[in-house]
Amino acid sequence: MGKRLGILFTMVVVICLSLTMSTFGAEKEVAYLSLADYTGPIAGLNVPADMGLEDFIKEVNAKGGVDGVKIKFIGIDTRYDVARAVSAYKRYRRTPRLLMVNSISTGIGKAVARLIERDKKAQLVPGDGEFQAHIGRTFLWGPAYQDAFAATLDWIMDDWKKKGKSGTPVVGYLSWDNPYGREHLRGGKEYAEKLGIKFLPPEFFPPGTLKHDVYLTRLAKAGADYIHAGGVDPTPTNVIRDGHALGLTKTIQFTTDYWGPTALGIGVHAEALEGTVITSFYERGEDARNNPFVTDQWKKYRGSMDKFNEVYGMGMSWGMTYVAGLKKALKTTGYDNLKANHMYKAYQELTGLKKHDIQGPCAYSPKSRLGSKVVKIYRVKDGKIVPITGWREVPNAVGLHTF
Amino acid sequence: MKALKIITLTLIFPGLVLGVLWGVPAAAASDACLKVIPEEIFLSPALIKKPVSFTGSGFGPNEMISVEMILPPGLVVKGVEEGEDVGIAVADTDDQGNFTAAMKPMATLNWFFQVGWTPLLKPNFKEAKPIPPGDYKIRATGLYSDKVAYSTLTIVPPPKKKE
Repeated sequence: MGKRLGILFTMVVVICLSLTMSTFGAEKEVAYLSLADYTGPIAGLNVPADMGLEDFIKEVNAKGGVDGVKIKFIGIDTRYDVARAVSAYKRYRRTPRLLMVNSISTGIGKAVARLIERDKKAQLVPGDGEFQAHIGRTFLWGPAYQDAFAATLDWIMDDWKKKGKSGTPVVGYLSWDNPYGREHLRGGKEYAEKLGIKFLPPEFFPPGTLKHDVYLTRLAKAGADYIHAGGVDPTPTNVIRDGHALGLTKTIQFTTDYWGPTALGIGVHAEALEGTVITSFYERGEDARNNPFVTDQWKKYRGSMDKFNEVYGMGMSWGMTYVAGLKKALKTTGYDNLKANHMYKAYQELTGLKKHDIQGPCAYSPKSRLGSKVVKIYRVKDGKIVPITGWREVPNAVGLHTF
Repeated sequence: MKALKIITLTLIFPGLVLGVLWGVPAAAASDACLKVIPEEIFLSPALIKKPVSFTGSGFGPNEMISVEMILPPGLVVKGVEEGEDVGIAVADTDDQGNFTAAMKPMATLNWFFQVGWTPLLKPNFKEAKPIPPGDYKIRATGLYSDKVAYSTLTIVPPPKKKE
């Protein structure tokens, strides 16, 4: 009886060990989770951005990975829905070596951040300044929304003076009625006050609004010299289209943030957008089309430049940061013990990382969660997006707000 | 007795060992409860203003809850891969482990109606593919405690218009 039990016990141990050992020979792999929007309201920009990232990862993997470690891209279509994103995070949170989670919206980022902190993982979000105000495991793609908005206000002041106007301009703001739309003003409004700008009561509208005439007319009647149109393209394109139809673009200068008109909007409403100013942390329009590092990859994986969108380069930039972080993390801890916490620490050591000029140098550090601290100002001219400044540092508007 | 020993050694013991080795998280045994309000609906635009909501109890205190619809095999939902469940609401429990949550318009539009989106970011009902009538299992999970509770949402065909 004892002999039989011994044989059975040995068999069980052998089965268990062989099953466990089988994983040792497997390819070394780390994961990246994109809580994206591929068929929802902001798919127009998220699809090309994730294309850029996926192609970049394909390129890295084709060359053998990072020190022999391949990157697995997991793209989830949340359709811009927070509940779906949280559920998807729940499903994938235990993926082995899930080193980074990218949340496509400010709302999703805020919801997932609490789980990220608890799970000791790391997250990327668009531009939520709250994560710079309260340093944690969430990193921004570029400068905070409010910092980039403050840079726009600086440009507005310069433009006002250049035009020979006295005093300070009146500035209106309209954007989506959601966490993204409001984020710009949490510090941005304080910065406007600091500059002495008369800042009109902001206008918010639900995403999906067909016409923006009511909001624009109200801002125009209140004496706006400049109107900042928020929202993710094509929303700002459509706001300015309505402003153009009302005749406002003749007297009011329209500005947008880094989700302002891309090839998407220009392709449909070039005339209405003429003269629009865009503040962006990543290369836009002609800059992006003339960056061979970006266009070579596009041509290799996507073919003709006809459907090229500049957000593709931003996706590549996410990939460059991930690869640089992974290299550091692997150097510190090696593959076997690698955890998201090592990536979180590695990202803080990427200060100064250059990204082929797609965006400014990386500004992550133990005290900074900003992806970069510089923006370029662009203008729509003759149906093209052209730079009118070089890279310029953004003010610290986050620091002016009490979070 | 002998059979019991064999079963223990060949099935239960390896299962336990593999579970530990692979770190498979088992759903925490719990007395958590979930209620869907109302339990029966038909799909209509009224759900945007008066959405399906949920109440739960018996979860961990002050934790995040994910409420998911478990998709029956064969049902294709836009943006969701086969075998995935779809999150339809999130909530936070109070210090007693209770929560209430309601579906946001975005969730109702995306997962019940499966609308398309126009370039103006407006839901496009022409592309809508409402999910079919039937019983849908709903699961609430405590994201800190792993406690789970189930309930059912029944979707019935819309009432016929009076002629």
